[in-house]
Parts: sequence; C-alpha cells; structure tokens
Amino acid sequence: MMTQTMIAPETLEDALAAMHAEPGSMALAGGATLVAMMNAGLVEPNSLVALRHVDTLRGTRQLDDGGIELGAMRRHRETALETPFKDGQTVLSYAASQIANPTVRNMGTLGGSIAFNDPGADYPAALVAANATILIVGATGTREVSAEAFFVDWYTTALEAGELVAGVRVPAALVGSIGHYEKLARIAGDFAVASVALQVTWSGDSIAAARIAIGGSGPTPLHLAEADDMLIGTGADSDALSKAGLLLAQAADPVDDVRASADYRRKVIPRLLAKAMREIAPAREAA
Amino acid sequence: MKFEDSFVVAASPANVWRAITDPGVIASCLPGCEDIEALSPTSYRAGIRVEVGPIKATFRVEVELTDQDMPNFVRCITKGEEGTRASMLQATSELTLRDIDGASTEVAYDSDVSVTGRLGKFGLGVMKKKAESLGCTFAENFRVQVEAA
Repeated sequence: MMTQTMIAPETLEDALAAMHAEPGSMALAGGATLVAMMNAGLVEPNSLVALRHVDTLRGTRQLDDGGIELGAMRRHRETALETPFKDGQTVLSYAASQIANPTVRNMGTLGGSIAFNDPGADYPAALVAANATILIVGATGTREVSAEAFFVDWYTTALEAGELVAGVRVPAALVGSIGHYEKLARIAGDFAVASVALQVTWSGDSIAAARIAIGGSGPTPLHLAEADDMLIGTGADSDALSKAGLLLAQAADPVDDVRASADYRRKVIPRLLAKAMREIAPAREAA
Repeated sequence: MKFEDSFVVAASPANVWRAITDPGVIASCLPGCEDIEALSPTSYRAGIRVEVGPIKATFRVEVELTDQDMPNFVRCITKGEEGTRASMLQATSELTLRDIDGASTEVAYDSDVSVTGRLGKFGLGVMKKKAESLGCTFAENFRVQVEAA
C-alpha cells in the first residue's frame, strides 16, 4: 500500500491531532531514516505528519540546574557543532559528530533517530551514558521516560501510537567529568559494529564516578551499574578495564549480521572501552 | 538461519504429541498466528504476523508434515509469502520428543529457515533474534497449556 497523504502542520497540537485522527500515520522529522525505510519498502505508513514547521520542537533551553533541553527537531549537525554542552554532557556531541555523513547530519534529527532505535545508531548509547530523559508528548498529555527505559527492544521504544518525541533533557554532568563516544564501524559513517559511550570523573589518580553504555550490541543500549562500579576507585588500569569490559561483553546480546558476527562484537567491547579511556587521557591531564 | 533449542513439558510424550500435532494448539501458542485451517490430515494453512518495531509483515504459509513417527519425531516443511509484497519464506523443521520419566517430555526443535525479498534487505540478524524470542514465547505458552490440560 502506498502512503496516501502528507500534511505539514504548524503547531504541535495540530500534528498530534492529525496523528490521533489517522491510525497508522507516522511523524516525519528529518526523513534520514524513515524515508530510506519507505524507499526499501520496509515501512509503509498510511500517512505522514511532517514536523518541519513545528517551531516548538526546535529550540534549546538551558535549565537553572545546568541541565539542557534539546528539541526533537534538532539536527545532528547542530548537536555535533553548536555545543551548549558542559563537562560529560559532551558525550552527545561526540556521538552526533559520528553519525553517517554531513548530508545526513544536516537532515537527520535527534527525535527521529531515537524514535527508530536502530541498534547500530549512535544517539541511544550516548543518551543512556548521559542519563538523559526523553520528553514524550501525545494527544492526552506529556510524560517523561529515562533514556534507559525509553529503548525497549529491537527498533522499539516506549512511544505509544500517536505519541511523539518532543525533546530530550540532558542533566548537568558532574563538574570536571569527561564525556566520550568511541565507535567502531567498517567505514566512516556506517552504523556502529559496536560503540562505547561514557562519562567519567577523575579525582586525582582514580576514577570517582563512571557511567558506561554500550551501543550496537543488543536490542537496547547496555548499561550495568556493576560495570561502572568496577572502575570506581581504580586508576583505569588494564585489569579493571578488562573486568568491566568482560562483564559488559557477557551481558551484551549482539546480532550476527553483515557488519560483524556476534562473537566479534563481544570481543571488541572490552577493547573499545580501553580505547575510550586512552582517548580521554589528554582531556584528563588538561582538567 | 538455523534455530535449535529444547524445552521440557511436564506431560507424557503421548499427550505432548497430541498437542504438538494439533494446529489449533500451535496457533494459540504462537504469537501472531491467525486463521489456521487444516487442508488435510497432514497439511494446513495459516497467517503469521511478525512485527519488528515499525516493520510489519504477514506471511501466508502452508505447512506440510512430511514425516511422522508417533510419538517421537515429526518433520515439516513450511512455505509461504507475504501478500502483495515480495518476501518469501521457506523452512524445514524437525521436532524430537524424548521421554524423560514417563511424566515429562523433552521437546527439541531444529529448524532451517530462509527469508528472501524485502525483509532480506533489512538484514536477517535482528529477525533471527526476533524469531528466537518467538520460539521462547511459544515454548512457554505450549508448556503452560499442555500442563494445564
């Protein structure tokens, strides 16, 4: 069945009403993913509700407590380059800068990417590492879901029919914390074979706080408080890193696909974690 | 795609056999299975709806039991396609029942499934994961239903 109609309302209320009125309709944000899926004949919405004229989904708001609210229609390029981020919040700009290529980063949006929850996408793990909250809006009101709870299963999120991602709230990261996103891909811009997103805070020679999320290795980003705890109090020595990395690799549930085998993905998780720690060493020395 | 797993049901092989060769029982235990109809004592037709997030497909399949050794073994061949969309599915499956202690039975399945067409473009890695979780749900539903009977 072909998609029958597309409308481009100017207000969020009109967009929600249109989605509510037409079951089987889908919200069209930047189109970087949805249009590609439609072209491949994989997704066939009855109608499209384009969000490009809904200005309220665009803004960025600095909160008094150091948190930031990002609108769902924020383009990847904006998140990668125009950085309002402080401390460990920068995990998001590192992730955004590695999504696909400049063309896609100019089109694709934060809300559109996370609503699809591709296991190889870059934002999901970064949002979990940043302990972000997803702001959801529907015909009956708004609700908030932690990033960890938002990603539910392969290509499946906590969004119900008729709901949209309105934005994302990124809480203030610990003062002096460092954010980083380390991605392994076959070629630059491809989906991740596996990725590691993290926020780490050093106190002298040891880690005072850590939050690690693994991407590309299961139906949802993988975060284990136990793995974070294994690094705390250590100097990120190879022993501590390989223990935490192995724990994450064992808990991962990766696919065998054209990019890599499940075994290979499990093998690279500890190595990506170690690499991420090496990459942030200069930032740590500068801090 | 190859699938292999087993589960244990607290029922005799004869009772498990009766249930596992009953299309009505299979349909009620398999999520997304609808409109099952017997074509002959050894073949039936069904619709199977599969969803991975926004990607939705309904296969019309025909299942033919090609070998039966009551109450130990059954082999079937499944062939199907999506309505207007070009995805084809073909599977050869074997079920082996093993008597554990007269009152419980191990059901082992071994299936080789191929999917081609638009869903092939999507990549089979995630579909395999989805099928494995469908297999677990089926096993759990089947176990509960047979043990309650």
